[in-house]
Amino acid sequence: MSILEYNGAAIIAMTGKDCVAIACDTRLGAQAQTVSCDFKKVFQFGKTFVGLAGLASDVQTMNSLLKFRKNLYELREEREMTPRVLSNLLSNLLYEKRFGPYFIEPVVAGLDDDNKPFLSGMDLIGAPVYTDDFVVTGTATANMYGMCETLYKKDMEPEELFETLSQALLSSVDRDALSGWGATVHIVTKDGVMTRELKGRMD
Amino acid sequence: MGDSAYSFSLTTFSRTGKLLQIEYALNAVANGRTSLGICAKDGVVIATDKKLSSTLVDTDQVSKVAAINDGSGFVYSGLGPDYRVLVRKARKSSQSYFLEYREPKPVSQLVKSTASVMQEYTQSGGVRPFGVSLLVAGVDADKTPRLYQVDPSGAYFAWKATAIGKNYVNAKNFLEKRYQDDMELEDAIHTALLTLREGFEGEMTNDNIEVGIVSANDGKFRVLTPEQVQDYLDEAN
Amino acid sequence: MSEFTNNTVNSVKKPVEETPSGFSFDNIHRNAMIEQMSKQQAASGSNSSYLPQATKTGTTIVGLVYKDGVVLGADTRATGGTEVADKNCEKIHYLAPNIYCCGAGTAADTEKTTELISSQLDLLRMNTEGSQSRVVTACTMLKRMLFRYQGHVSAALVLGGVDVDGPHVYQIYPHGSTAKLSYTTMGSGSLAAMSVFESGYVDGMTEEEGIELVKRAILAGVFNDLGSGSNVDVCVIRNDGTTKMDRGAVQPNDVTPLRNAINRSDKLNMRSGTTAVLKSSFKPHSVGGVTLADVTVTDMET
Repeated sequence: MSILEYNGAAIIAMTGKDCVAIACDTRLGAQAQTVSCDFKKVFQFGKTFVGLAGLASDVQTMNSLLKFRKNLYELREEREMTPRVLSNLLSNLLYEKRFGPYFIEPVVAGLDDDNKPFLSGMDLIGAPVYTDDFVVTGTATANMYGMCETLYKKDMEPEELFETLSQALLSSVDRDALSGWGATVHIVTKDGVMTRELKGRMD
Repeated sequence: MGDSAYSFSLTTFSRTGKLLQIEYALNAVANGRTSLGICAKDGVVIATDKKLSSTLVDTDQVSKVAAINDGSGFVYSGLGPDYRVLVRKARKSSQSYFLEYREPKPVSQLVKSTASVMQEYTQSGGVRPFGVSLLVAGVDADKTPRLYQVDPSGAYFAWKATAIGKNYVNAKNFLEKRYQDDMELEDAIHTALLTLREGFEGEMTNDNIEVGIVSANDGKFRVLTPEQVQDYLDEAN
Repeated sequence: MSEFTNNTVNSVKKPVEETPSGFSFDNIHRNAMIEQMSKQQAASGSNSSYLPQATKTGTTIVGLVYKDGVVLGADTRATGGTEVADKNCEKIHYLAPNIYCCGAGTAADTEKTTELISSQLDLLRMNTEGSQSRVVTACTMLKRMLFRYQGHVSAALVLGGVDVDGPHVYQIYPHGSTAKLSYTTMGSGSLAAMSVFESGYVDGMTEEEGIELVKRAILAGVFNDLGSGSNVDVCVIRNDGTTKMDRGAVQPNDVTPLRNAINRSDKLNMRSGTTAVLKSSFKPHSVGGVTLADVTVTDMET
């Protein structure tokens, strides 16, 4: 088992029509043993959300570091950090530790200044992937790719996006032993963020 | 050097609460060639007198307006060599900003970081303040034109139009009369040349002035070629 | 480049506002212990385990010199292990207005190395009164950077561009060795692509012939090498200074028409209320980013 799979995680972000959504499972495990079912792995940075899958300690370290850097930027520049800039910053924070990496694979999802969706994903040393449909990360990636490729449609409205994303995630984690035990979904629209906790299998 | 007898800051308070070194630096600026800038609604122009001490100097090799990144540039009044240090530092900080965020450094941030460098030289040991005031012209990613002035103390100001260097008081008076809020870049360039001509010693030609412009349309900063300057000079006559 | 340094000024401790240049090795020891731990577990019978892999480009990249410039080509697949991490990634990187560079190897390394060199070239141009960058300069900067890291920055590059000396193509290996060639291929699909070049390259090709050969070479990689796939990107840099970047010049694997033809089962359209929700809340956006009032002090988690 790779250290990226030690704690278990499943995160999907998806775009809709002028909205994005990001969903994650809530399990924290120590290999096969489940330690917690309300572990936070998706974090809000204004209109941008960052999902961090991988080693739990690095998830929390990176969240603190990113929050520090993003707050400093916004205080200095007196403007919001766009998801694209946040994604580039995160990528550089990871690449700085190229030879002693944080064991996390992040996704970034948010709305830019014109409320257009932005999605990106990256590997543990910050190689970015930009897509306009969906990105997945965690221990159930193969499952999630399968679900997303099947269920995804362009330009979904927030409600349908929520259902599609939730079903993609729930079905994926049901076939992955390391993730699941509940799920949280955030739907970002131009007005605000809808956060929902899902009922998932607890086995 | 840190512990030597000379490691104290040269810029220390006088009994009256003044920092004389900074005032002397401002004198160096006031003795320098005039520079001015005008912020129009669709761009910014900065211009400077680059008259030289001798007619034997090859004027093509003298450049006072410097591009810092794609969308912004500097001009100065005061000591040329000091200016080059600031230009190099600004270019470098602009590059590292771009590498980090993949977004051009906003003009306001460029001004703040340059002003920080200048402030640091008023409070550090073994150094003297920069003998230059800068005019920073640029367009931000949202296409807003910006014009700033940075002084040796590290103080900075945003302007609609301003002048620094020799004769700056007259030049500013002139600009106050000529400036209009809805000015377009072409008008601004014209006004800049007229202002520069006030108090210009001798005839203004395309090799004894230098003009830099940044247009909000393409967001690109460029230094005008002598031919382009000549066209504007012909217009101004 | 020699930098103006003044000990007194530089010794002033500044707050961390920008990422310091260069790599940080802070996690090395921790990561070595994690590796040790997982190796022990592997030995004691549980699942075999090692440190995670970074995304690779897999890749077929090529470059050639033709009559009036250079043509660069690349596929668009990125892989993480055997999984396709990106179906349409960009492997032809901008270095200067007259120079581009194809990257193979570890995705992050090719991306960041070319970004860094591009930035250094930009600075160099500004500090030399805006003169055009030379391809050999870019090549030297890249090879020095790669040699310094002894192959650990795993970027295999095909560098191409035009300058005062005409069109040039260089190949650069991750360890820093370089070769100046008239046609070259790199990446896991380089053998497939080279077979096309070896049979089809002639000196003094026209632009159309050059582009056609590059497309065929990349397609050879796309179809015969598992690490390469999806589309063909082509970039032409001409002697007159113009460039043409053609993203998706060939798209042999476009599934859009296929997908549009499928009659989606209604079951795949998720109806409202399909998912069981335990709790739901809505929070409007706060505007204007973080201000001092928003920065709250939180206790350290203990």
